[in-house]
Amino acid sequence: MKDFGVGIRKIGFLVLSILAGLFLWQMFTTFSQIPSFIFPKPIEVWDRLIIVLQDGSLMKHALITLQEVLFGLMLGLSAAIITGYFLAKSRIVERVLSPYIVASQSIPIVAIAPLLVIWLGPGIFSKILTSALIVFFPVLVNTVVGLKSVPRELYDLMRSLQANTWQRIIKLEIPAAMPVFLGGLRIGATLSVIGAVVGEFVGADKGLGFLVNVGRGLYDTALVFVAVFTIVLLSLGLYGSVIFIENRLLSWQKRNGD
Amino acid sequence: MKTKYMLWILVVIFTAVSCSIQPANDGPTGELTHIRLPMGYIPNVQYAPFYAAVEKGFFEEYGIELEFDYSYETDGVALVGANELQFSLVSGEQVPIARAQGLPIVYVMAWYEKYPVALVSKTEQNVKTPQDLAGKRVALPGPFGANYVGLRALLGEVGLQESDIIMESVGFNQVEVLATDTTEVIVGYSANEPIQLKAQGYDLDLILVSDYLDLVSNGIITNEKTLAEDPELVERFVSAALKGIQFAVENPEEAFQFCFKYIEGLEDADQDVQFEVLQASMELYQTDPYGYSHPEAWENMQGVLLQMGLMKKEIDLEEAYTNEFSQ
Repeated sequence: MKDFGVGIRKIGFLVLSILAGLFLWQMFTTFSQIPSFIFPKPIEVWDRLIIVLQDGSLMKHALITLQEVLFGLMLGLSAAIITGYFLAKSRIVERVLSPYIVASQSIPIVAIAPLLVIWLGPGIFSKILTSALIVFFPVLVNTVVGLKSVPRELYDLMRSLQANTWQRIIKLEIPAAMPVFLGGLRIGATLSVIGAVVGEFVGADKGLGFLVNVGRGLYDTALVFVAVFTIVLLSLGLYGSVIFIENRLLSWQKRNGD
Repeated sequence: MKTKYMLWILVVIFTAVSCSIQPANDGPTGELTHIRLPMGYIPNVQYAPFYAAVEKGFFEEYGIELEFDYSYETDGVALVGANELQFSLVSGEQVPIARAQGLPIVYVMAWYEKYPVALVSKTEQNVKTPQDLAGKRVALPGPFGANYVGLRALLGEVGLQESDIIMESVGFNQVEVLATDTTEVIVGYSANEPIQLKAQGYDLDLILVSDYLDLVSNGIITNEKTLAEDPELVERFVSAALKGIQFAVENPEEAFQFCFKYIEGLEDADQDVQFEVLQASMELYQTDPYGYSHPEAWENMQGVLLQMGLMKKEIDLEEAYTNEFSQ
């Protein structure tokens, strides 16, 4: 009952905060008399949202971006987990790969994205790869840190119990590294949307990044806002999903804490 | 004593602030008017008339200090529409699209006479006429901007639909995707992509949109406020720009030399190719008279944009452009 009350209060504050934000936005655009093509009023954005919802175009583009993001996330996660495991386990692999991995992070994704279009063609795969590339590093770093933070005594314990490699991975390393890994996944999930949208900016005829381009090309700033808010919503949805997974997977930690 | 010092400090601050907010300008006799001009593309030899006009002192002669800005075309249009800037160089289709969205911009000088978009393919593709495009993969930066409008206008002119071709959005990578056969046809500027590809040794076929339809092309825009309150500034700007065009047309080699100061890395680029780009651009510059845009080209453009759905309603074209400043 107490939890229910806290939940209601939280939602109440969120609604109030959003309403206050909308009110300030409306006041600012009304009194500053900024033209709509520079900064539209909330009501104009709302009207535009209704139009693109009714004609189905927002859903169509959002689903394309979501598809790219999910595939990108899967690809980036898989690559980061596998590479991270070997980096954490082998000093030689770490020494050989680290310079490349660190150097790759200084390459701006916007510089690489046009090249991916040339190498992989204008289809969905170049966007998936852009998304995967941006997801890779934070997940990799957290995988390595998570695996390296497993206490040595626990390895000794597993050895004394004569656990085989799989048992060691499943029973010890994955649960022990999970909290840090999920921290990386939170960042990766949010970044994956940015990656896909950057890919769409460079060369696409569908997706939310493309919708932003269309809005800009037509001086339809309300449409740009609608697309941007949808991108934000998508990021928040993914972030929330990771939190949900985190709560489910780490409930044992919470129970132990209690 | 303390009050005296404070007074002096206030006087110094006031003087400094007054100097910094003094409006730069007032024409040929006063200080120079500072104008920032969005060009809509990266530094390029096609802008040689503007570079020449600055270097030859034409803008200064008309009391203007010109600064080049290579931001996006749509940003330039929005800034002029909001009266943050007075002028911008844009492609023709932007004017009706922007005015339909309520941007009070006015086209005051034609820079190109012909719509510069072309469809380019390797000769083995056998794309000689627009009808040959049916079923072909056609790459362009995306379904927006001059390339897209040019493509759709051309398809419409010969009774084809967008669904009759396979359209591919490749960003500004048209040269690379045609060279690597990732696509079959590209849409680009006739004075740019085809010349770069020919220089790499490819035999090409070109279909010029302007051979099929007269569409209003690239030019200078201002906003209604500037036009109403300071028409003399518009006249000075257009006069200087037109003088630059005339100079570049009459002295292409000298105009090309001015480009080196503005285009980083030009000295390392293939000079012959770059000069060819300039010469191809020259053919587009030569409006008759200089700066003039044809009313039927505006009508055609509006028709195409309405048909494409890029404009929802007709606009009054009389308010969208003026030939008052052409020479």
